[in-house]
Amino acid sequence: MTADGAFNAGFSLVTTVSVLLLVSLGLAVVFGLRRVINLAHGEFIMFGAFATLTATRAGVGLWGAMLIAVTVTAAFGLVVELALIRHLYERPADTMLATWGLSLVLVQLADLVYGSVTEGIPTPLGSFGVGDYSMSEYNLVLIGVPWTLAGLTWLVTRRTRYGLLTRAAAQNPDMAAGLGVNTRRVATWTFAYGAGLAGAAGAVLAPVVGVIPTMGQLYVARSFMAVIVGGPAFLAGTVGTSTALGAVENLVSRSYTPVIGQAMLLVAAIVILRFLPQGLTGGRRRGGLV
Amino acid sequence: MRTRSAGVVDLAVAAVAGGVLVLAGNLVAEFTAFEWTLWAIEVILALSLVLVWGYCGIFSFGQAAVYGIGGYSYGVFALNLAEHTGETLSALVVAAVAGAVFAAALGYFMFYGNLSNVYVAIVTLATALVLFAIVNSTAGSAYRIGDAVLGGYNGMTRIPRITYRLPGGDPTTLTRVQFFAVCTCVALVLALALRFAGRRPFGRIAAAVRENETRSSLLGYDVRRHKLLVFTLGGAIAGLAGGFYAAWGRFMSPTVFSLKPAALVVIWTLVGGRFSVGGAFVGVVIVEGLSSGLGGPSGDREAIVVGALLIGIVLGLRGGVVPTLGRLWREHLRPAVMAARLGPSFRRQPGSMQGQDRLQPADAVSEIRGDGWSAAQLGGDFESGSAAGIDTDAGEPVEAAGAGARLEVRGVSKRFGGVTALDDVSLDFAPYQASCIIGPNGAGKSTLFGVLTGYHQVTGGTVLLNGEDITRLGPHRRARLGLGIKMQVPSVYGALATRENLWLAAYAACGDRAAARRHAGRILAQLGLSEAADLPAGALAHGQRQWLEIGMVLATGPSVILLDEPTAGMTRDETEQTTQLIARLRSRATVVVVEHDMEFVRRLDAPITVLHMGGLFTQGSFDELSRDERVLNIYLGRGNEQPGGRGEHAGRGNADAG
Repeated sequence: MTADGAFNAGFSLVTTVSVLLLVSLGLAVVFGLRRVINLAHGEFIMFGAFATLTATRAGVGLWGAMLIAVTVTAAFGLVVELALIRHLYERPADTMLATWGLSLVLVQLADLVYGSVTEGIPTPLGSFGVGDYSMSEYNLVLIGVPWTLAGLTWLVTRRTRYGLLTRAAAQNPDMAAGLGVNTRRVATWTFAYGAGLAGAAGAVLAPVVGVIPTMGQLYVARSFMAVIVGGPAFLAGTVGTSTALGAVENLVSRSYTPVIGQAMLLVAAIVILRFLPQGLTGGRRRGGLV
Repeated sequence: MRTRSAGVVDLAVAAVAGGVLVLAGNLVAEFTAFEWTLWAIEVILALSLVLVWGYCGIFSFGQAAVYGIGGYSYGVFALNLAEHTGETLSALVVAAVAGAVFAAALGYFMFYGNLSNVYVAIVTLATALVLFAIVNSTAGSAYRIGDAVLGGYNGMTRIPRITYRLPGGDPTTLTRVQFFAVCTCVALVLALALRFAGRRPFGRIAAAVRENETRSSLLGYDVRRHKLLVFTLGGAIAGLAGGFYAAWGRFMSPTVFSLKPAALVVIWTLVGGRFSVGGAFVGVVIVEGLSSGLGGPSGDREAIVVGALLIGIVLGLRGGVVPTLGRLWREHLRPAVMAARLGPSFRRQPGSMQGQDRLQPADAVSEIRGDGWSAAQLGGDFESGSAAGIDTDAGEPVEAAGAGARLEVRGVSKRFGGVTALDDVSLDFAPYQASCIIGPNGAGKSTLFGVLTGYHQVTGGTVLLNGEDITRLGPHRRARLGLGIKMQVPSVYGALATRENLWLAAYAACGDRAAARRHAGRILAQLGLSEAADLPAGALAHGQRQWLEIGMVLATGPSVILLDEPTAGMTRDETEQTTQLIARLRSRATVVVVEHDMEFVRRLDAPITVLHMGGLFTQGSFDELSRDERVLNIYLGRGNEQPGGRGEHAGRGNADAG
């Protein structure tokens, strides 16, 4: 393989990995810090994408529209938490069923409002050439944003008082409450933060994928696999599995088809879980959260 | 007798329902019968989830995906072979087999990977979505299997109807009305079969697995294999339903793998009640009626109805119609019944785990005694040989029943990551002896217990039972070799009847339904629980549940009995009786007790092993140890000469084990 070909392959690999991290982060925060399995996660991504689309249609610039989308999705997450999630605390099966219902409703509502036709947002920025290959500059955004958000999440959970309270509430809610932490409020904000991350994923992806009501289904299976295989240390785990599973998907996709790549991602995840049921980070340090 | 009459009632109900439905199918317009056929097919699909989720507690979101696999398999097989064989019944068989094989492959990874239930839900759902993507992408004439074009998002078309050929006759295709009759009868026969299976050991063990996997494997049931078996059977039923569906619409589309069909199966089952076979019929009719009634003329609001229904069930009915009724029973009616039957002192007290019961007034204690709550009697009966009654009654010997065995650990170490919870411990528990293991918090007691039971894999060393290496055997294999295990927190089947709890224990050992029933009845009487026999074990008082669990351990006829803090949360009187029981048990089996309560240890008067910081500290009798200054130091926390965090780390390992 030539040098430019190798660069192209590497660039594509890093992009796939980063996108997987992007779509998994929100789920990882909500599952890792709240033990909530949000089956409507894909629809939160869809929500962010449609919010971006709506804002750009209203004349807002793309970058501004993305910021608006993140805020709106976080606010929507807040509402969902208050109306639905908090009533199902510590009932994981019911939480899954309720968020699944929410997911069906959201897809159909988006379909009724926007229709099922692909709405394009033109991909911004130009392209750059490496040897014989031409690459989109926007891919740099697709790569940069997830890692920035992961770093931000790490800072928030490890270096702020709020993050400390969140981790305390996640590890032992009763003890945290006994020490005076308002665990309900912490839980609500955590969920909203996770929703905001999902919204960011939708916003950043909006210019490169078809913004359609069912777009969440494309990502939800992959992001769940990344988070579950990641294990209890949610941030390190999700970063690690996004890298491993994203690499599998990218390499297989290049050799065969993207669909086979997706299937191999699932197969790899299931095989890993067969031997490490606690996930990649589960065997080493139990109880650690970040 | 009861089960036989219940079977007759089931049969009568099914026969009447079948007659009425088939007759109705002949009377209504042909197109109506055609529509009803779909509902009958959906009932078959719902029944597969009743089996998997309701019976065995496997939270599968993938039944619709297996249904899709069955449908496509029918299509591929029928398109290729119907012309040659003149029939498509073999394609139906293929659909069922394909569903079973797919479920078995997926189930192997999920259950043998010990995935938790919530993860099973996610993996099955993710599998469905990936199948959706795969099948969606098979558009184009390149994707064909023989004569069958998969068709991608356009779907597979021209799938043959159900056709049969009698020997020597011409191929005959079922009319729509006949097809309705066939699907209805299959649904009813499957419902009957599930009801029947629910009363047989197969269904009762499934319920045991659903209620408490830990206890089931401790009794010797192979939880993973049973789950795989149930899931595979459920896959066969869903695959068969898929085959019918393909023949019904003569068309398969990848949307069968998408989220809505997956959700619908769950909703049918939830609305009708997931434990209820009849609920599958009720659920399909209610939900399909609602969504076609409220879904708008073109069905474009159907998903909203379905989604809202799901949210509503979860928020309003907490899991469905039948579970709601069940909860009303548990929370309002049953406590009243219990109180009336057993008197006020047996009301379950929240937080009674932590030894509050020890402070109970003397009148409560005497009341317990008056209730025939006699441990000494139980132990006495076992001593006099009636525990061996399993084999005399059943006429077949129970493996290792009542034969004391030697349990050894040699150089066992256990590390959790960088934390050493057990460090090179060697112990020998001789046959027909009781031994105590004590130690302060974090000494490694619970870890050692986990190593003995098979819940922890050792990092190094071996565990031997009668000289046989059992180091790598899981809990259920050890249970079959005669290891009886009583956990610290009472681990019984809370939702199952007390009698059923004991039956499951006895059946695990003898494998004979009638003998197990007799044995369960006898132990029930010995425990003084005959009056509570048909009440759920979860309604018993804390002490009673501890006793029930010990009774379950004894019902398996173990040769080694491991007890983790058997007197935790017991009153002084119950503790006293437990002491007597264990003292008597050692004439029948090897007994190993992990205990905290020094008074209990003193009374038991057995050799004591002291663990400290994951290592063997010292051994001796109670009198010797109570004069040992070093042991007192450990217990009183005096002069902790080893600085550093190691003790603390061992404590974390210990906490993990608990």
